[in-house]
Amino acid sequence: MGKYSRELSVAAVLGVLLIALAIFAPHFFTPQPLLSRLASQMPALVAAIGMTCVLLSRQIDISIGSQFSLCAVIAGLLAAAKLPLVVVIAGALGAGAAMGALNGALVAWLGLPSIVVTLATMVTWQETLRLWQQGRLLNLPAGLQWLGFRQTTGQFVLMAFAFALVALAAWALRRVAAGRFIYAVGSDVEAARLAGIEPRRVTFGVFVLMGLLVGVAAVMNVVQSPQVQPTSGDGFELKVIAAVVVGGVAVTGGRGRLWGVVPGLLLLASVNPALTHFHVQAYWEKAIQGAVILLAVLADGLNRRRQS
Amino acid sequence: MAPLLQLRSITKSFGAVRALRGVSFDLQPGEVHALLGENGAGKSTLIKVITGAHAPDGGTLAVAGEAVPHLTPAKAHALGIACIYQQPALFPDLSVAENIALRLEKTTPTHLVRWPERHVRAAELLHRIGAEIEPDAEVRTLSMPEQQLVEIACALGSGARIVIMDEPTASLTQKEQHLLFAVVRELRASGVGVIYISHRLEEIFALADRVTVLRDGESVGTNRVAALNETALIRLMVGREVAAIYPPSESAPGEVVLSLRGVGCAASGVHDIDLEVRTGEVVGLAGLVGAGRTELARVIFGLTPADAGEIKLSGRLIALREPRDAIAHGVGYVPEDRRRHGVIFEMPIAANTTMAIHPQLFPGAWLRLGAERELTESFLRDLAVKTSGPEAPGGSLSGGNQQKVALARWLATKPKLLILDEPTQGVDVGAKGEIHKIIRRLAKEGLAVLLISSDLPEILGMSDRIAVMRGGTIVAALPGHAAAHDVMAAALGQTGKVAA
Amino acid sequence: MSATPGNPWKSVFLRHETILLLVLVAEVLFFNAVGRNFGTPANVANIVRQSVEIGLLALALTPIILTGGIDLSVGSLLGLCAVVFGMLWKIAGLDPWLAALGAVVAGALGGGLNAILITRFRLPPLIVTLGTFSLFRGLAEALTGGTVAYTGFPPNFLALGHGFLLGAPLQAWVFFAVALWIWLLVHRTTFGRSFRAIGFAPEGAHYAGLPVERHLALAYVQAGAIAGLAGVIFVSRVTEARANAGTGYELAAITAVVLGGTSIFGGTGSVHGTLLGVAAVAVLANGLSRILSIMAISRELSGILTGALLLLALAAGAAGKSFAQRRQPRAAS
Repeated sequence: MGKYSRELSVAAVLGVLLIALAIFAPHFFTPQPLLSRLASQMPALVAAIGMTCVLLSRQIDISIGSQFSLCAVIAGLLAAAKLPLVVVIAGALGAGAAMGALNGALVAWLGLPSIVVTLATMVTWQETLRLWQQGRLLNLPAGLQWLGFRQTTGQFVLMAFAFALVALAAWALRRVAAGRFIYAVGSDVEAARLAGIEPRRVTFGVFVLMGLLVGVAAVMNVVQSPQVQPTSGDGFELKVIAAVVVGGVAVTGGRGRLWGVVPGLLLLASVNPALTHFHVQAYWEKAIQGAVILLAVLADGLNRRRQS
Repeated sequence: MAPLLQLRSITKSFGAVRALRGVSFDLQPGEVHALLGENGAGKSTLIKVITGAHAPDGGTLAVAGEAVPHLTPAKAHALGIACIYQQPALFPDLSVAENIALRLEKTTPTHLVRWPERHVRAAELLHRIGAEIEPDAEVRTLSMPEQQLVEIACALGSGARIVIMDEPTASLTQKEQHLLFAVVRELRASGVGVIYISHRLEEIFALADRVTVLRDGESVGTNRVAALNETALIRLMVGREVAAIYPPSESAPGEVVLSLRGVGCAASGVHDIDLEVRTGEVVGLAGLVGAGRTELARVIFGLTPADAGEIKLSGRLIALREPRDAIAHGVGYVPEDRRRHGVIFEMPIAANTTMAIHPQLFPGAWLRLGAERELTESFLRDLAVKTSGPEAPGGSLSGGNQQKVALARWLATKPKLLILDEPTQGVDVGAKGEIHKIIRRLAKEGLAVLLISSDLPEILGMSDRIAVMRGGTIVAALPGHAAAHDVMAAALGQTGKVAA
Repeated sequence: MSATPGNPWKSVFLRHETILLLVLVAEVLFFNAVGRNFGTPANVANIVRQSVEIGLLALALTPIILTGGIDLSVGSLLGLCAVVFGMLWKIAGLDPWLAALGAVVAGALGGGLNAILITRFRLPPLIVTLGTFSLFRGLAEALTGGTVAYTGFPPNFLALGHGFLLGAPLQAWVFFAVALWIWLLVHRTTFGRSFRAIGFAPEGAHYAGLPVERHLALAYVQAGAIAGLAGVIFVSRVTEARANAGTGYELAAITAVVLGGTSIFGGTGSVHGTLLGVAAVAVLANGLSRILSIMAISRELSGILTGALLLLALAAGAAGKSFAQRRQPRAAS
């Protein structure tokens, strides 16, 4: 325990939940639905990497749900136009990075609070998408789904990719100087400046990375179904923020590890199936998500108070 | 050989306040040069000029014989200037090893972090200064002196040619001090120039080669330490004898207003305080920065509640849990940090003046702007505040006039006890005299005043009695006509030698 | 605080609000000349009806933003209170007006949750209200099973959303009453002073003996109650109580407040500014829909415009602030 107590306690809660499911609802573990359920969480996991960086640098981004929808639609349109996969991916990533750069510029260079900036961009992108697509479903060409693999292979590829990305990011946050700068800026801006770090550049970079990863997540989502829904990102931001906060990343910046986010997300993702299995209505998902965010933040707050 | 650092006629003003009035200073390689002066004499400003944090208004700065016209913190760092601040600028969430590494490593974002190397180096540096700190520990879990040791390790590791130490021993234990002295001597031996700021004379005599005394933003002179004794040094710091510029005391102390018996507060480091303040009396609270004077004021005002001893106001035993309790019992506090605590710069003078008497002046929470204006204007007249009117924002005033508004806020509460924390800091000479006259008048009208000041002549000139603090408690109680030397000696911990 | 001649700071506010008023007048003149049926009494009533709920939330947010805080949960709370209202009437069988009171109390309780977490546990308002943003909306969805909408309210209740009194839509009078209350609170009582002091200098307010925590709590509880009231009015206007009521209203409300000159960093701002901000946003959205005559896209367009307007207002505020700072020499440190 000790240093990793938060990560371990989240993992323990997840373990208890899974054991309960194994006892009371063993069909939860039927391989194929379980695999599909896991694969469907991978976009959120990839976005959670970006959100971890954003929160570590003491910022927040609530526009990623809208970014996610918009990137997915762009990817869908490019794919529908029979453009090669590389172009599809580049389009989604480019769009994400551009939207992230706008947030980053407003927060870093104008010094505006990220919560209000990203609230504004969230609605702007969301309504732009509605106006543009009018809620149309986009049909995708056959070759795109599962990147041309069989479904099971495709699901494994997505999961392998997502976990590889998490491993890479966790390594970079620990071993690459830029990763440490994120912690430094989130921990104390003044000390960062004294150490020769340029906080505004770090903040900007973090938002761009967030957008870029949302682009990746959107592509990973698009390839899982034959259609693109223009509302695919609704509520995405809360799910990702909840996962990161539950995983032990402090909203006050500078504290937390990416590894904690994995059990955090899996815990949140198991809540809804568990509810259905225990015959609780699934409509409680959003309420539970909110309550979980509040509890996690409250736990951090009480912990911090006890320490000081 | 050119000096490591040479400053010539450095001037720096903040608005109307002239913090530095043409200070010259030089530092030789392999020298420990002490910088001495009362609070507000300009030491901090001078250091910030040397570290590039403040651009001077005039004068020149040269490092190793080469003029540096526009010094920035980054440039200062590159030139080998390192500073250990009183308030360490560390990352609370990161480990000690990383804190040291972030200061020492290049800030290219792509380089790979070698944790084992970071640990080894941190352990080595900490060992060199004899600090028993785990490189793995999070800085937030360290005590203040431990954090300062981490800062020292950073400076040591950076291979700086010029190391500035701003009261490095203020919170160190005896053992840590000795280790620190060894580090300083080692630095000197290796040709580094050390600028050493301290109020502890014994340290200056033990360590420094030369000493420069600053007073009111000017250099009083640079001397070889060997050519001075303690008395001479204290005289240099205190300067002029207390002139007759202070209005004489005209009041006779009456009954006891504030009585403290064994009061302490573990969180803020004050302990075993016995103190009485009577009506019509000005009690001066003397001591060095960090002696616990402001901390004691905060306890009496309920900002950091006492956890030991008893506090009586007008003979009644009371508990002070928050400022509102203190205000209700007739205590007012004009805080040291005017910008953050004393006056809200963006709000009108009238709103600032009436902020502590909302329930009395505005029954039912309903603003009575006419009454507020009248009250404020009467205070503005009474205290001779120079302003365009009660609606002018607090920040538009000069320092002295801001202080008068801060004073007016508490006078409006009709207090029995008024605590004044550095009431004339950053205030021009004219306004200073006016504030002194106001304090005298208030005492004559029967107010009990607790005056905290680092300006020794002010303490001596204004106080009916003087309590000297050191290390979180009161170490000496002196009469108002005490000699400057005795007060300074007590504050410096030289009580044994005061027998005169 | 009221504007007084000879005070440079006040005249800045005055100027901001004057500019906003001129923009509003220009909008009205332009749409009246170009748009179809813009100036008709029916459309004016329409604009008022459509902006009352957002306007109420903007009024509720003004004191909170003055303290330097934020409440993202008001739109969700509106939805939850609408559902609570529907349930109290339909399931508990309460008189609609009693149910309305229940919804306001529910709102105050919701605001109370924010208040406790923010003041007692010292958690940042943004993450607290982001959590309750999800919690309140989720509770509304859970209570209705996601799909149920309560309908069939009695006509005497629906009159609140559709009737007229002295020539103005009925809910406009409720809005004016709340606006007057908030205006008096912010500009004429010690509470307003306190909110500003907390926004400018939280520690300074504490040193002056102001009851910082109690006043902060009051601002959040009040916002909850007003969100409850807005929920009731929403139901009476759209004639049904459903879980998605007020989705996205928090953004529109924050935009109106910031557009109205209240600094997102706290301290400065006015309630009349907020009112002008609400009007400017409402007129723009309605006028555009009139010009384009495509009702289907007006919702999206007004959403985009709201977001863009908020960003512009924020950026202008930041630019103005840095300009002012550059002109004023910095005080001694």
